Amino acid sequence: MASNAAVPFWRAAGMTYISYSNICANLVRNCLKEPYKTEALTREKVHFSISKWTDGKPQKPSKHFFGLFRSAFTSHLLCLFCMKNLVFRFIFFY
Amino acid sequence: MAMAALRREGRRFATPLISPRPIAAIRSPFLSEEDAPLGVRSISTQIVRNRMKSVKNIQKITKAMKMVAASKLRAIQVKAENSRGLWQPFTALLGDTPTVDAKKNVIVTISSDKGLCGGINSTAVKISKSLHKLNSGPDKENKYVILGEKAKAILVRDSKKDIELIITELQKNPLNYTQVSVLADDILKNVEFDALRIIYSKFHSVVSFLPTMATVLSPELVEREAESGGKLGELDSYEIEGGETKGEILQNLAEFQFSCVMFNAVLENACSEQGARMSAMDSSSRNAGEMLDRLTLTYNRTRQASITTELIEIISGASALEG
Repeated sequence: MASNAAVPFWRAAGMTYISYSNICANLVRNCLKEPYKTEALTREKVHFSISKWTDGKPQKPSKHFFGLFRSAFTSHLLCLFCMKNLVFRFIFFY
Repeated sequence: MAMAALRREGRRFATPLISPRPIAAIRSPFLSEEDAPLGVRSISTQIVRNRMKSVKNIQKITKAMKMVAASKLRAIQVKAENSRGLWQPFTALLGDTPTVDAKKNVIVTISSDKGLCGGINSTAVKISKSLHKLNSGPDKENKYVILGEKAKAILVRDSKKDIELIITELQKNPLNYTQVSVLADDILKNVEFDALRIIYSKFHSVVSFLPTMATVLSPELVEREAESGGKLGELDSYEIEGGETKGEILQNLAEFQFSCVMFNAVLENACSEQGARMSAMDSSSRNAGEMLDRLTLTYNRTRQASITTELIEIISGASALEG
């Protein structure tokens, strides 16, 4: 209910619903206490390699991904902003 | 000790065995005895023995691989079965529309990175290719997104032009939702589509996997289909809360649906892969056992024959002395 207003913000930052929900999930996992926290964080390890092909040839940089947030620093900040927004809205709501 | 006896035997028969027909000498244990070189009284059993040893080793390896596949299967099967709950609500809401007519089709072929797992990868590729043919038309576009080394190896050979993305090394870590969703995100960002068609093997039991297609439509196409009625016509009877438009909701839904369907598809495929590997390794260790039986029989027969020959020679020699 409170997150309604956040949608245009992360869409404007070029994020999809998937990356938005992943970042939220990461924040929630970080809220856990210690023995459970590391266990939950192992579930968000990302590893694969991707290469884009055009006209039957692979494009040069074939990327390898090892972490969730590779270039998402700005979007991360933005999302923190969204979450704060959300928390404030909750407080306001009550 | 056995080696010493072998060497002695080898020296005794070395000359006639090697000199006239060396190739026949290597093959001789597997051919009939008439095929042995002229003047040879018996055949060296060394080759059969070596062959038996290598077959035994291969059997050990395939048995170990079967065990590994079985234990991996058990872990991943639970995950795959639990993940089915993720896409079922989407199918209930948006329906499954495999026959929808879309201009830009993207075929997501899911395969494994490793081989030795029977025919599941070639089945997935075959289905993808026939889907490509089925959907091709004058103003239509078909592209491939390939997951896994095996489908890549086949599709690079004959459908190079249509490949858009290749993703590999997915199973280095145990599969999790975050990984698959990041991957789905990358596919969404790099590929333009009206309909995504995901081809994977759905796990049924250890010996049966159904090649399956899941369809994810783009939000525009969903809206168009909903307006024209049909299966998606009921979508309008849902009420939307909050200030979002239907287009926004549909876009969010389509993205989330894609990541969920991908997660399930990747898990199901990994599960089928392990099952297929298990049955493939089972049958290959059975075949190795059969081969070993046959080789043992040949080996024993040859040995017996050479002993009999030697006995006959000794006896006839003795009787010649007596007479």
